[in-house]
Formats: sequence, structure tokens, C-alpha cells
Amino acid sequence: MKVKINNREYEFDQEISILDATKKAHIKIPTLCYSEKLEPFGSCRLCSVEIKGERTLKPACVTKITDGMEIFTHSQRVRKTRKTIMELIIASHGINCNLNCLTCSKSGSCEIKEVAEEIGVTEIRVPPISIGLPEDRSSYSIVREPQKCIVCNRCVRKCSEVQSVNILTIANRGPDTYVTTFMDKGMGNVDCTNCGQCILECPTGALHEVYQMDQVWAALSDESKYVIVQTAPAVRVAIAEEFGAEPGKIATKQMVAGLRLLGFDKVFDTNFAADLTIMEEANEFIERFKNNGKLPLFTSCSPGWVKFLEHNYPEFIDNLSSCKSPQQMFGAIAKTYYANKLGISKEDMVVVSVMPCTAKKFERVRPEMKGDVDYVLTTRELAKMFKLAGIDLLNVPQEEYDEPLGISSGAGAIFGATGGVMEAALRTAYEVITGKELEKLDFEAVRGIEGIKEATVEIDGINLKVAIVNGLGNARKVLEMIKNGEKELQFVEFMACPGGCIGGGGQPIPTNNEILLKRMQAIYEVDRSLPIRKSHENPAIKTLYKEFLEEPLSEKSHELLHTTYLARS
Amino acid sequence: MERIFLKKDLGKNLEEYDFLGLKNALKMQPQQVINKIKESGLRGRGGAGFPTGIKWETVFSIENDTKFIICNADEGEPGTFKDRFLMENLPFKVLEGIIISGYATGSKYGYIYIRGEYVEAIKIVKKAIEKLYEKNILGENILNSDFLFDLKLVRGAGAYVCGDETSLINSIEGDRGKSRIKPPLPVFEGLYGKPTVVNNVETLAAAAEIMSYDNNPYSQMGTEKSRGTKLVSISGDVNKPGVYEVEFGKLTVKDIVQELAGGVKGEKIGFVIPGGISTEALTEEELDVPYTYENLQKMGSNIGSGGMIVVSSQRNHLEIVKNVSDFFRDETCGTCFPCREGNKNINKIVSDIYKRGYPTSHEIEIISDIQYAVSSAARCGFGESSLNLILSIFEKFYTKKVEV
Repeated sequence: MKVKINNREYEFDQEISILDATKKAHIKIPTLCYSEKLEPFGSCRLCSVEIKGERTLKPACVTKITDGMEIFTHSQRVRKTRKTIMELIIASHGINCNLNCLTCSKSGSCEIKEVAEEIGVTEIRVPPISIGLPEDRSSYSIVREPQKCIVCNRCVRKCSEVQSVNILTIANRGPDTYVTTFMDKGMGNVDCTNCGQCILECPTGALHEVYQMDQVWAALSDESKYVIVQTAPAVRVAIAEEFGAEPGKIATKQMVAGLRLLGFDKVFDTNFAADLTIMEEANEFIERFKNNGKLPLFTSCSPGWVKFLEHNYPEFIDNLSSCKSPQQMFGAIAKTYYANKLGISKEDMVVVSVMPCTAKKFERVRPEMKGDVDYVLTTRELAKMFKLAGIDLLNVPQEEYDEPLGISSGAGAIFGATGGVMEAALRTAYEVITGKELEKLDFEAVRGIEGIKEATVEIDGINLKVAIVNGLGNARKVLEMIKNGEKELQFVEFMACPGGCIGGGGQPIPTNNEILLKRMQAIYEVDRSLPIRKSHENPAIKTLYKEFLEEPLSEKSHELLHTTYLARS
Repeated sequence: MERIFLKKDLGKNLEEYDFLGLKNALKMQPQQVINKIKESGLRGRGGAGFPTGIKWETVFSIENDTKFIICNADEGEPGTFKDRFLMENLPFKVLEGIIISGYATGSKYGYIYIRGEYVEAIKIVKKAIEKLYEKNILGENILNSDFLFDLKLVRGAGAYVCGDETSLINSIEGDRGKSRIKPPLPVFEGLYGKPTVVNNVETLAAAAEIMSYDNNPYSQMGTEKSRGTKLVSISGDVNKPGVYEVEFGKLTVKDIVQELAGGVKGEKIGFVIPGGISTEALTEEELDVPYTYENLQKMGSNIGSGGMIVVSSQRNHLEIVKNVSDFFRDETCGTCFPCREGNKNINKIVSDIYKRGYPTSHEIEIISDIQYAVSSAARCGFGESSLNLILSIFEKFYTKKVEV
């Protein structure tokens, strides 16, 4: 069909939205309530365009093109209307001396600031109005600042449409409309999984993680403390974005150097603990498989996923791997094995994690494994600390992780992307079961960004049915299928966030599909570039078992590396 | 003034009511009924003024086993009470209209959605529906034909925005009373996703009346673009407030105020709101306009719901503006930004003006810009029209007077 956009003719073969049509014509229309992953909502009306013959403006996100349509994306009426709406939004966004852009969590990634600039707002003529709602600090992971909320519904829709968690909702009506949790109980007192996808979606500073930067600064300045840090696999392929680099830039060695400059006594890698997780989990799987144990086995690295299951599917708790996540395994080993080696007491050691994840902040305080990790920083928080310390991340001399807890394999690295845990586990399980060397290390079938992937893997004549699931909405679908007997699987990897940890709730904003794919490519590049690519070949892991743990699933392992779960429904 | 279409005082007594409109309709093919409504020139009496016959025809032409008729009785426009008058005094005529529209469109299910505050109307209509079931005018084989139609009363919970047809549909479905994105229009995807006619009470009563005549006197009345008659409810500073039936084009707004409503109470007319508080005010000098859709539109106003409010010159205009703004501030559903934020911010500005006693030219400029944006980009008719009256009062009474 033929459509005129700003007097130029374009042809489209599908009935797409005006917004998609203008995108194809390389015309940018401002949006706020729109998000590529969510159903179009049509509430902010900033994408309003003029259509010849129509009495009122029409929102481009929810209006479909029709043959012969004449669209004007930036006519005088459109410009004037958008500008006024933007003024109104800003006036209600709680900007005053106490609460301004300078102190906002999204000062560097604010979408309304960006849109206001696109629209060309130069003054706010209406008086500011505050809704006067208190901050929600009930959660270990996520803070809500409702006075900055513009009620675009994106967090509500993300939580519902993508994650199927549904803890956020709209209350009241009219100007008193606000976003809240069930019965105003607060994020910490409802079935929130702490995945932080709402933070990624929020165009303002109304949602951010619970900051632990100050505590980490304090620990670093405390000379009586031995402060070590671990960095998760997905952090290294994203943190450079906070310094203006293209998504997909690998900045592992710069980050290690930066962490030393911050004053950490040792800089270690969660990938080491990921290798350890594989040793335990692959063996757990083999044991369950051989001894008719509970199957399918569900991975337990993603604390958002674990809490989701505890709330919504407690009947599957026995399917969860009893392995702690790599973050917690790292803490447990650091405070025993490594502290012993150094000859310092557990109390004098501070373990800091840098994670792409907000749910890790909650996992840290779970009573089942409290004390393993002291503080959790998100990728964004670490970037803020680097900036505060004047560290020019992209230009610092590159350095290597410390030994031994910094030695890792490519299998540990791919934990950062959806499918990675499965692939890493398969590399080890294959060789442990068959005693043969794996010829082809890349399990292409489990890679990619799709929400639900399935594969059959042949090991020693046995066909293993595995699935890889990312995003909690997809997790719900798969669990329902397993429950109804529609799916027979032996091993399932679940990640709470779309794309896995590369799309985690603590990652740089924006995080969108295009950026996810670039981060994912970088993850597999890290894997390819490493000399060791299988967890069980990691020499530091071998030493750890020899010197301390004895063997996978040993008594010591169970004491330190395994955990229990809680039915929360 | 003679009542032409609603002349029969066939109030609440079923024994006296003939259902002639329905009987005539059942003798015809649905398309013939639709044609007759189209010929009559009947336009929706809820405010938007869309041709009723075309709406019916659209739903009739869609093939679907399930279609719905909704009678919109959520009359919430301040100053408008003609639907209440109809439901309380002529309930059978209203219900007859619903059944006829069901027959004409091929719908087997109807809802009448009455605003919760209309306690008396709800009681009367509920009883009337029960009686119709007893008398085989609702249910199976209506009046021994093979037409089947069920009707249910739904009571609104008290949100003005539910007068918007898509909000009303959400409300019946049990969702929040907020507007839906159009398209799809309810005629294509309405209640439970099915083709749905939403008509105002007065529209359906008029349809029943039109069907009760063999010839079509309705189309002979009024003007070309405004045919037939309209119920006008008049309130405010008049000597005889009430509901009057007016033939389009026969009287001016001034005639209606002076002759039907007994003239203004007080010194003289300050302004008249011709169609409920979503329509622009007319000054005393502007009242010689014939009462038709087209003439009022020429004056920058509208027939709206027919709720005429007369304001004496002795009243504090700013107090009225403040009242109106409070109303819209409270009643916006809060889903779309322009309407939610626009009504909230204007209310703040209007409160300041009210306290001070006069507006500044700067404030009038802002109000004008906000009205422009909200009426251009709001999601439903509520937002589109919510600031019209406020702006018109400022433009007509304050732009020249006040400068600070």
C-alpha cells in the first residue's frame, strides 16, 4: 500500500503501525509509553501525528497505515501539541530543588530528558505539582520513587506481559493515578522476584536498585578489612557502554585494572565460581539421571527465577538444583578456602560482587546462605564508582585477574548469556559420562536470544532432552507444559531476564534487543578466545578439589556449595 | 410546546403501552428497519451525533453469531437529565428501542448500563424488564415471532468517563472504567470483542417512536442536517427548569430559555452552556442562534447532550469555571497523559485565578495551549472536550478585560 509521509511517497506491503512505517522511512517520532518489547499502549500521545482528513491527531504507535494515507509527523499542530504535553509531563515529574536531575539515578540515561530535547521544550510554563507519595524502600533490591513516576505503565506492563509476575499495578484514577504494589505493601512484601526488568523499562528515575556503593566505599577505606571483588560474566561485555563505547565492547582487563585502582585487595572472577557450579551441577545431574532422581533438573543460578518458582510453583522445588549460584559459591569458597590460605579470619574479609543483576542483592541476604557475600553492586553502580574515582575505563592499562579465584574457562564465561549454563554443563557432563573428549564444543542449538529453545543432545547413545528458557513469562509457559505433561525434559536452564544475564536488571540502560545481541556475541567471543573452555579442565578448580573439596558432591561441597529453598506461596 | 415524538403519556403502565414500534419492526426485514431509521435522519443523542442507521447497518452487515446492543444510560454530563426523565417516565419506550435495535442488527443480547446514582430509574427499569419477560416481549419468540432477545441491567459504579462507549464496555466487562484505543471501533470489536452497538437512551427511545409510524413524520421535521426533535434539559438560573422537547430549527437558544424555561432568574443572562459542560459557552449576544447541530457548531459550540445550563450575569463566573475544572480533574480516567496532566494542571491554574479573582494574560495563554493539545491528542471524547467550556469562558469574558 502507498502512504505519503511528509509529502513523500512510500510503499509498504504490510499493514503496519504508523510508527513502524516512519521508522522505515528513517523519521524519528518521540515516544514515552512505547517500548519495543511491549504491546503498544497509546497513552503518552507524544507520538501523535496529523493525518489528512482526520479531525484529531492520531497516535502513531497504535494507528495502522491505510492505503493512500497522508501523514504529517512534524506539522505545526503536532509540534505545538507535543511541546505542551511534554511541558505537562515535566511539571508533574517532581522536579524541584530537592529532587532534581543532578541527583537522579537516571541522570545519564534519562529518557524524558532525551525526548524533551527532541521535542524542543525550552520552558515549563505550568507550575510543578507533586503527588507527595513516599518512597518505597521495603525491598532489598529495588527502590521506587513515585514522585518521579510519570505513570507510563511500562514497568507494570513489563512485569505483566514479559515476566508474568504482575506485582505492579495502577491504583486510583485521574490525577491521583499512581503505580503501586498489591495493597501498597511495597516491593519487598509482595511476590516480586527482584529481576529489575522494571528498572530497565522505566523512562525516569522512579525505579532504581538499592545502592550499596557507600558501603563498598567504606569497606575500601577500612584498613582492617581485606576486600576482594568478583565480577560476573555479563558485566565485562556491558560496562564499557556506560563510558560511551559501542555495545558488545569487551572490557574485562580494563575493568580488572579499574577495580585495582579503586583499591580492592584482590580482583577475582565469578567465572571461576561458574566453573565450580558446573562441576557440582553436572555431577548432580548425572547422579539424578543414573539413580532415577527428580527430573527434569532446573538450574538455580538466577535468583530471580528461583524466587519466581518459590512463589508460583513450589511443587517444583525438588526439581531445582541444590547448587548455590556462582555468586554465593564464590563467597563460600573465598571465606573458607581462600581466607585459610591467606591466614585471615572470615570476619576480616569483605566479599563484594559486581553483578548484572538486582536479584543478587536479595540472594545475598537469603537466610539459607547469608554471610557468603557482603555487598552486591550492579554493573551500573560499578560504573558510577569508576566515574567517581576518575577512572577512564576505556583507557586504563589492561590487567589480568588475580589467582587462583580469577582463573576460569570459557564455559564459565558463557553463563552470561541465555543457554550458557546448559552449554557449559553439557561440555562437562559429556566428558564425565563418556570419558571421551568432546570434539565440537559449541552447542549451537542452545544459543540465540529466543525465549524458549529446545534441543536433543546425544551422549553415549542416550538422547538427552534439554530446554533453555529466558524471561519469566516463558518460564511460566514451560512450567505449565511440564505440569500438564506436554513436555518431557531432563534438564532445563532458566534465567529470569530476557536474554539471560546480559539483559539483567542491573545492566546499562538502554538494554534492548539490538544491544542484547551485541553483548551476546561478545560473550561467545570471550569463550572462543580462552585457552581452557571446559570447567573440569580449569586448573584452579582441580586444585580446589584436590586441596579442599575432595570431589564434586562431597560432604564439604554439600556444606558450602549447596542450599535449600522455601515454598513462598 | 407540543411534544411530538414523546407526546404519549404512556408512562409506567405496561397494559397501556402498545409496542407498536416493535410490532412494526418485527413485520419487516432487519434491513428495512435500518432503512427506515436511516431515512429518519436520526443522529445519536448522547453528544457525538453519529447517524444511528449507519451504526446499526455496520453491525448488521458483520457476520458473527454474537453481537451486542448496549443502551448507554450512564448520563453523567452535569446539567443533563433527559435520559433519567425518559427512563423514569417512559421506560417501555426505551426498552422497546433496545429490542428493535437488537432485531435490526441481528443481536440477541442487550445491556442497559445505568449510572449508579439513578436509583429511581434503576428500580423502574428493572421492574420494566421483569414485566417484559413476563409478557413475552423479552426472551424467546418475542411477540410470537422467531426473534430472541435477552436484556440485562448493569449498574454503573459512578465514573463519568464510563459515558464514553469504550470505557463503558470495559466497565461491563469488569475492568477499570477507562477508554480503549480506537480503532477498533466497538461496532467491529466491542463488548467481549464482538460487534457492538452503543446507543444513548434518547436515541433508542426516538428509534422506537420512529418505528411506530407507518409514514415517517420524523424525517419531515427539523433541518436537513438536524432532523426530528431533541430533548433539552434546562437547569441553572431559569424560572422553569425541566425537560422540553424541541423541534430542531424551530426555536433559537434564546427562545428555549425565554419561552420554554420561563426566562432567566436574576438581572440578565450571563452566559448559556448549550449542551452540558463539555460544550462552549454562548454569551447573551450569541443566543439568537437556531437550535440545530450545524448552527451551534458555527458558533463554535455544540448540541452536546442537550443539557442546557443558564447562568445569570450576577453569578461569579470564576466560581463556575472552578467547579467545572474540579469536576473534570476528578473524573479524568488518568490513562492518557494529555487529559490526566492537562486537567490536573489547568485545575491548579484555575484555582489560583479563582483565589486571586482574575486571570493574567499569561495564564489564559497557557490554558489555551493546554486546551489545544488536549483536544488534539486525548484518547477519548472526554479529554477532547474537557477544556472547551473553561477556555471559552476565559476567551469570551476575560481576554479583553484583564491585563496584568
